[in-house]
Amino acid sequence: MSGAVGLERIPLARNRRLPAESDLVSQRSLVTKSSLATKSIASLAALRDRVKRLEHPAAMAHGILPFDVAAIDRVLPGGGLVLGAVHEIIGHGGDEEDGAAAAGFAAGILARLGAGIVLWCQKRPDLYGPGLAAYGLDPARIVLVAVPRDDAILWALEEGLRAGNRAGLVAVIGEIGRLPVVASRRLQLAAERSGITALVLRRWRDGGEAAAERGQPSVAMTRWRIAAIPSAVPPDLPEIGRWIGRPRWRVELLRCRGGGPAVWPEIWEVETADATGHVCLPAELADRPAEPRLPDVGPIDRRRAG
Amino acid sequence: MSGQSTGAAPGEATPFATVIASGGRLLLAAVDPIAAAAGLMPGMPLADARSFVPGLATAAAEPAEDRAALTRLAEWCGRYSPWTAPDGADGIKLEITGCAHLWGGEGALAADLAGRLSRQHVGHRIAIAGSLGAAWALARFAASASGAPIVPSDRIRDALVALPVEALRLDPATCQGLRRVGLKRIGELYPMPRDALARRFGESMAARLDQATGELPEPLSPLGETPTRRVRLSFAEPIADTADLARAAERLAQDLVHRLAREGMGVRRLDLGFHRIDGRVEHIRVGTARPNRDPAHLAKLFAARLDTVDPGLGVEDVILAAFAIERLEPEQIALAGAGAAIEGSGIAPLVDQLGVKLGPDAISRLETRASHIPERASVAVVVGKERSDKHLVIPGRLRPRSGMTSGNVEKSPLKPPRPVRLLMSPEPIEAFWLLPDDPPFRFVWRRRRHRVAHADGPERIAAEWWRPEGPDKEDAIRDYYQVEDGEGRRFWLFRAGLPGEKRPPRWFVHGVFA
Repeated sequence: MSGAVGLERIPLARNRRLPAESDLVSQRSLVTKSSLATKSIASLAALRDRVKRLEHPAAMAHGILPFDVAAIDRVLPGGGLVLGAVHEIIGHGGDEEDGAAAAGFAAGILARLGAGIVLWCQKRPDLYGPGLAAYGLDPARIVLVAVPRDDAILWALEEGLRAGNRAGLVAVIGEIGRLPVVASRRLQLAAERSGITALVLRRWRDGGEAAAERGQPSVAMTRWRIAAIPSAVPPDLPEIGRWIGRPRWRVELLRCRGGGPAVWPEIWEVETADATGHVCLPAELADRPAEPRLPDVGPIDRRRAG
Repeated sequence: MSGQSTGAAPGEATPFATVIASGGRLLLAAVDPIAAAAGLMPGMPLADARSFVPGLATAAAEPAEDRAALTRLAEWCGRYSPWTAPDGADGIKLEITGCAHLWGGEGALAADLAGRLSRQHVGHRIAIAGSLGAAWALARFAASASGAPIVPSDRIRDALVALPVEALRLDPATCQGLRRVGLKRIGELYPMPRDALARRFGESMAARLDQATGELPEPLSPLGETPTRRVRLSFAEPIADTADLARAAERLAQDLVHRLAREGMGVRRLDLGFHRIDGRVEHIRVGTARPNRDPAHLAKLFAARLDTVDPGLGVEDVILAAFAIERLEPEQIALAGAGAAIEGSGIAPLVDQLGVKLGPDAISRLETRASHIPERASVAVVVGKERSDKHLVIPGRLRPRSGMTSGNVEKSPLKPPRPVRLLMSPEPIEAFWLLPDDPPFRFVWRRRRHRVAHADGPERIAAEWWRPEGPDKEDAIRDYYQVEDGEGRRFWLFRAGLPGEKRPPRWFVHGVFA
């Protein structure tokens, strides 16, 4: 009911802004009222959309990228990663320096963003195309920028965000050690303006820098911590030797603006992203069977080589 | 046509000379007008000069500095013509054919040049003539304070008649020889038979005479590269504000692009020169990833570097010169040689912009190549330097194909998994293993100990025998293992060398899995 009032108000507000066209506008508001009666259900959906838009202006402006994992999407405002915003990804333990699991998680997100170019800025080029391809990110989509300084990377990210769609970009990602709040705010504003998603992969030189930076605030929309965890050995094969099972990540949502779970941090254990960039809950944890995105070709022949 | 000027120290009340050490004596290198009026001349020993003019002020001559200053001045003269060069130790030559009309005629050009040089306190004499030799002669032997002599090609012989033979740019010995036989003026050489002159005084003397009269062409090799296209913007008042400079750059870019668009060309290299009123020139040089003629983009490239320009007291001219011009069809909007995903997108302007600030080598693409050597299968290639032999690349090989990918441990049943991070060079680790063919059960990498919980492998990768550095390399045969440590982190290790060999095998970490 209160929603209907809101709808009526909007033409009135417009009316005040344009007094010269008052006759025309009041006519239009009449039309709106009459159609409201007949199409109330459709209007309600539009209204919900509108309220959502008011609550999360950035969220609705450029869309949402769901993880397609109900448990994760449930806690994210809007039901997924907000596009046109900054998202921070950090590693865990020794991986805070190597940034491997974080890169894999980021690659999965980038893979699902569409076919455009990804501007990937890092200090020394150590990305490996075939490895990224396994998470669905085609290496041909990446334009790599290698500069040894954080401020240069931040500048490149901002330029990328500014060029945005014109340059055919869908996302920018930077591997940054020190991220001052001002810099993250600038990135966030540039991302909101352009609608391009910015991922900030925190990668620290050593334990000292990690300890100093880990707790620093930032204005990123979300902050994720990704850790590789021991792979799952199928329970029905007790003595599988020393082979590696399905690799897994522990995905932690450390921070999330405008919503999020009741308990911090929210933790999921997922199987690493597949060739379409999707993560999924392991079969024994999910309330549904592990369901690969693409048809399975059956058990893989895993002979030991050599 | 050529003009030249001669510099001297600004006039003061006291006579002034620079001195240079030569053969254990101090000689005068240059003298100012007051000293010259007192009878001093370059080459005179300082002791003699002091006896003539007791109050002579001196300073050490700096020939290298003088040369550098002359080169700078020559560069500054680039505002009149792209063909400028320092001439000897005391002159600058300028080829102004086709440039004079921009200044309202040759006389106006000479007057403008004279005015600006005077303002910089550069003493000068200017002459304009149809040949380089004649201009040289007139500037040094005929020019007076009242305006520069301007001699068109058909009147060169008359103009040179009264000048001494030294005006022919001859070596002193030849001049002396000419004077000894009574030939003192250039006019006296005209009736002489050419072959007799050449026999007596050498071929070069006859050639000098012909060059001066314009019968023998004499090309001018300019200072630096000559631009293909060039646009200039001059200001009535010098400007120094960065915003103004940026606007000037934008205007010039538009002017240049206008011409390029008409010709269907794009530019690869640009030089934006800021001519300061003190005679220095500040440059911004930029390159583009592909031929370009988007004025906004070019202006942006310059704007990114404007903070490196020191306008000094002000900039009076801005000159935009285009080198390396290439055909640019209106519809072609692709990076040369770039991958399919990048072709057809508008990424090139962004690449240029990043390249201007970060260096052109900072921007690269991951190129997938058909090689089973891990570090050769995916290479970061600097944008613009991609390999042309595309047949080596098998696109789509690594992309998921329906029915072949399972979303499982093995991303593709055809290929064993690969790490997301590959170290630029494999790092040696301290490893402990039991049986010869086993992966290590413990290893230390970067001072961190890892206990191996699970391992997959080995995957044997041998060097490509057809490459020169092929099979004889130490780690020609590598056995790769994917290992998972107690925490769950996965690494890509390899063992170099075979178990049964004399040298113990060594272990390396080559990559980190996500």
